[in-house]
Amino acid sequence: MNVSVITDNLGYLLAGAWPDGPVGGLMLTLILSAASGLASAVLGLVLGIALAMSGGRTRRVLTLGLGLFRAVPIVMLIFWSYFLLPILFGFAIPEIGTVVAALSLVGGAYLSYAVAAGIESIGRGQWEAGLALGFGRWQVLRVIVLPRALPAMAPSFVNQWTALIKDTSLAYVIGVPELSFVATQVNNRAMVYPAEIFLFVGAVYGCLCLLVDRLAALVARERHLPRAGRA
Amino acid sequence: MRRLLTFALATLLSVGAAQADRLDDIKKAGVLRVAAFDSNPPFGFVDPNTKQIAGLDVDYAKAIADTIGVKLDLRPTNPANRIPLLTSGKVDLVLANFTITDERAKQLDFSIPYFASGQQFLAKKGTLTAPDQLNGLRIGADKGTTNEIVLRRDFPKATVVAFDDTPFAFAALRNGNVQAITQDGPKLVGLLAKVPDKENYEVPAFSISNDYIGVGIPKGETRLREVVNETLRELEAGGKAAAIYDRWFGPDTSQPLPRLFRIGDHS
Amino acid sequence: MSLFGDLLAPRYLIWLLQGFGVTLALSAAVCLAGTILGLALCCLRETGSRVGRTATIAFVSLIRNTPLLVQLFFWYFGAAALMPAGLTAWLNSPHSLPLGPADLRWPAYETLAGFVGLTLYAAAHIAEECRAGLDGFRAAQREAALALGLTGLQVFRHIALPQALRIAWLPMVGQYLNTIKNTSLTMTIGLAELSYASREVETETFLAFQAFGIATLLYVGAVAAVEATGHAVARQNPAGAARR
Repeated sequence: MNVSVITDNLGYLLAGAWPDGPVGGLMLTLILSAASGLASAVLGLVLGIALAMSGGRTRRVLTLGLGLFRAVPIVMLIFWSYFLLPILFGFAIPEIGTVVAALSLVGGAYLSYAVAAGIESIGRGQWEAGLALGFGRWQVLRVIVLPRALPAMAPSFVNQWTALIKDTSLAYVIGVPELSFVATQVNNRAMVYPAEIFLFVGAVYGCLCLLVDRLAALVARERHLPRAGRA
Repeated sequence: MRRLLTFALATLLSVGAAQADRLDDIKKAGVLRVAAFDSNPPFGFVDPNTKQIAGLDVDYAKAIADTIGVKLDLRPTNPANRIPLLTSGKVDLVLANFTITDERAKQLDFSIPYFASGQQFLAKKGTLTAPDQLNGLRIGADKGTTNEIVLRRDFPKATVVAFDDTPFAFAALRNGNVQAITQDGPKLVGLLAKVPDKENYEVPAFSISNDYIGVGIPKGETRLREVVNETLRELEAGGKAAAIYDRWFGPDTSQPLPRLFRIGDHS
Repeated sequence: MSLFGDLLAPRYLIWLLQGFGVTLALSAAVCLAGTILGLALCCLRETGSRVGRTATIAFVSLIRNTPLLVQLFFWYFGAAALMPAGLTAWLNSPHSLPLGPADLRWPAYETLAGFVGLTLYAAAHIAEECRAGLDGFRAAQREAALALGLTGLQVFRHIALPQALRIAWLPMVGQYLNTIKNTSLTMTIGLAELSYASREVETETFLAFQAFGIATLLYVGAVAAVEATGHAVARQNPAGAARR
């Protein structure tokens, strides 16, 4: 084990070229994770509600579209968004934007299923009771169903966030200098210490994911929510 | 169905990718966008002090930008995306230790070569002395390099295992997963200089190919290519090419190598 | 200049199809082994001793919270360095077992490391899905079964597990889909699956968009086929399959 290859390059691994250049390394990983985590939660909620509330053809089209995002390996999706979107739409999207967009779409697609399942798990009786009280469908959703369904979905969201943190490492394919990308650069400069470098990187991702997981568990306990199954 | 889809996309994309004269665009923008390796010392790597990309390829890129009279904007690249970056117009040139091949020349244009190297091997001492032994060995190569192709073509009985980067190939060699690794000679010499137990390894004194390294240029950009070629010839004539070489492979460096190739020797 | 101008020559298509074959075979093996191991882990966690329980929880949490890529690196580069030199050498050298007309060949070290890494990753996730399914199985039902005089393990095997599997089926299909996509990461340790093949084709032809495009379509096709099958199975066993 050679620890000096980590300590010598710690600044670069944690912050990239910053402050002499753009932010990179662990800091960029955190930024990417936070941005795509937030966006995927919003997307997942909106699409999941749309999925649960729609029927017939709309639902089928939506299911197909969401299924496509779940079927493509994320590496390929990032690659395609980076190279094809500018050609199709005629304007360039910065690398970081592409990664956040691709990760949010994938995360959103996964979450939408969890959200739809959560909404549908609230029994018919609740819906009918709400409708009998004179509420509209959307009112029932907002006032009765969501407040009960959302806490049960929380574990799915936490899972998706930990998955997102790990997936940000795939941004390397278009040269975004997040943690694993700068680790590769250091690895190629040092040449002979790949085990040390990638054990360190793995430990950092592991700590991040565990932190998110534990925080979520803590919040859940505070609110006396049942820690339901994680999907 | 797949063909149909490919064709439809092809039609769509060929419209979008049509280019005006790139040299004029570069001058108008005042910026030359160049893709260079960030993980391939000493050709292109992140300098630990400046945290910017530096290396032999970068020095040539700077010289070309200076000749055109514009600023240089470097983009990090890897073997997997250096062509897409060029064909989709995200960069103007690729200087990424780019070996010139006929197959590649169908997709893009190349400048005259500015560097030459031979494909060599690194192995534990005593395991490899002559090329004919290669057929029985498991050999690690870097994915996306011509080394891999040449090895598979000329030594079909060798087992080629391709890795993402040279350090991984070398780790596999240390663990005994492969018996030799292959790369450009200069890179292997540089690698060996950093190995803590270097007395156990050697670069056998033979090479299986001669590779010429050139600048990747978008297809059909004749004026741009002329400027690049002209710059390279001037660098050689003025002695600057030799200075760039010495900066990375000269006697004072950790990987001293005699300079056998001059720009213009081969076209 | 066009990005999709040239089509791939047939021999490159064959490379891609061979890679696809490796992807499918590896995915199938990993899904099978991962399911068995995952269910065993889940069983140990529910009915095992305190030590077994703690060990399982720690293992599952460790595997689920580190990137798969790093785990693959560990199995390929790290484990080889930790094992006795003789064993590493034996695993690296070719062996074959003559079985009638066919030879059963010992897989290359890449395949072995990839298989182990992917299987453990899938097993940890499947164990977690199974546990979530068990949570959905009501405590009352468990007590009723215990009152009938069944032992804890009997309750688990005959009542809880079948119901949990029905609840966990679709999430487990999700894990199978992830496995198919995850096999693409084994290219970093030199395993010649579909992504590896697409990189090889790209290296030789420089037709990056074609090579990656066909690979993407093959992945989507495989994932869609498995997903459709999974849903069809769920529809045939409707009792609570999709709902909790």
